[in-house]
Amino acid sequence: MTAARQGPEPPADDDLAVRFRDGDEAALKEAYDRFGRAVLHLATTTLVNRTDAEDVTQATFVAAWLGRETFDPAKGSLIGWLLGIGRRKVVDRIRAAARETRVVETVKQLPEPVDTGPDPDTVVDRLVVADELARLPDEQRRMLELAFYDDLTHQQISTVTGVPLGTVKSHIRRGMQSLKRRWEVDGAAPGPRPAGLSGAR
Amino acid sequence: MQHLDRDRLVFLALGESEAADGESTHLRACGHCRGELETLRHVAGLGAGTQGLTDLPDPPEHLWQGIVAEIRAAEELPTLNGRRPAQPGDAADRPAAANRSRPGRRWPRWASTAVTATAAAVIGVAGTAVVLGAGGDEPTPQPTVLASAPLAAFGSTPKDASGDARVLGDNQLHLHVANLPNVPGYYEVWLIDPKTMEMLSVGTLSNGSGDALLPIPSNVDLRTYSVVDVSAEQYDNKPAHSGDSLLRGTLTG
Repeated sequence: MTAARQGPEPPADDDLAVRFRDGDEAALKEAYDRFGRAVLHLATTTLVNRTDAEDVTQATFVAAWLGRETFDPAKGSLIGWLLGIGRRKVVDRIRAAARETRVVETVKQLPEPVDTGPDPDTVVDRLVVADELARLPDEQRRMLELAFYDDLTHQQISTVTGVPLGTVKSHIRRGMQSLKRRWEVDGAAPGPRPAGLSGAR
Repeated sequence: MQHLDRDRLVFLALGESEAADGESTHLRACGHCRGELETLRHVAGLGAGTQGLTDLPDPPEHLWQGIVAEIRAAEELPTLNGRRPAQPGDAADRPAAANRSRPGRRWPRWASTAVTATAAAVIGVAGTAVVLGAGGDEPTPQPTVLASAPLAAFGSTPKDASGDARVLGDNQLHLHVANLPNVPGYYEVWLIDPKTMEMLSVGTLSNGSGDALLPIPSNVDLRTYSVVDVSAEQYDNKPAHSGDSLLRGTLTG
């Protein structure tokens, strides 16, 4: 028995998420091939030490596989779940390193700061949005990339692509709503945040 | 109150157009629309930060191998235990376990029985601590080995470094190491929970090659702390793991 789905529908991840949950070892390999890069990126951008980052990535997939029964495909995507595990492990490492630094600093002065990377939540959120962007229909993705990366106005996008302005607008509207829904499902701190608090994380 | 059109909010969030007077007034008064706008702005900011994320480098090959090795150690053992030929003491010690098939069990039997088996093992093997490597007059009984782990060079450790760890029935860890690189400090032995990376120190080694017998606290759950790790430590009055692991291996029964 699975509970009725509520709220935004998670992306249809073919059946990878279900096979992973059911213990199909081929699904583990497939999940690693598809999402291992993202988990490693999360770890390498937030942790100073490369070995730590690889350890965290390894521990994330081991923990995910051993705890796969706790994964509910109806509540979010597999990559979102994996990144959530990775994020917690990263945060644990950063805290442990900070504790060690405090101890070390009482013995000798260490000029090197421990936490230099970006906020893990933001890295997770970007990876989730990137994943959704990659799933959008080609036209929607293309329009959004021109708006995001090249900072083009809708009129400029229309000129560059030769797509009528009204169509550009409708692609961007739909694409943005998809990204927003996905972020609310799979983001590090899901759900719309209270007005005026954006950027407070 | 008439909320702002959702599509209109998308355009405002992208900076495509300025809010008209009426819209600004509404946004000041309406927390809902303001929240939507903030969310859309945040998502647009995340979108702008996704460049390059679809073309990330592949993880190194050893990462996948490490994942498989760790999972194999944790998962496959019940199957192996089920298939292995009966050994002396098995039936007598654990008659129930032999008949109890528990599909989906993930942990080796030795792990759950490691602690309770200790009492029996101590009776069967007297004076184990002096047994190892001792060539006495009388044939000495071999200690019960509940689990063992080959230890392999970890990270950037030279590949000829190696070792073996054996959990003996009397709550001791027999450690054999060879070719550990010279370090300015000393070596420390840890048991690690691979899921949380929580760890406890079991003892220290002073030589890069040789044997040591270290007591394991009797309340340690080896189902959880399944990884044996040897680290390089400095004389820095710092009790935590240095992060510099030289050898690692996962206990299997």
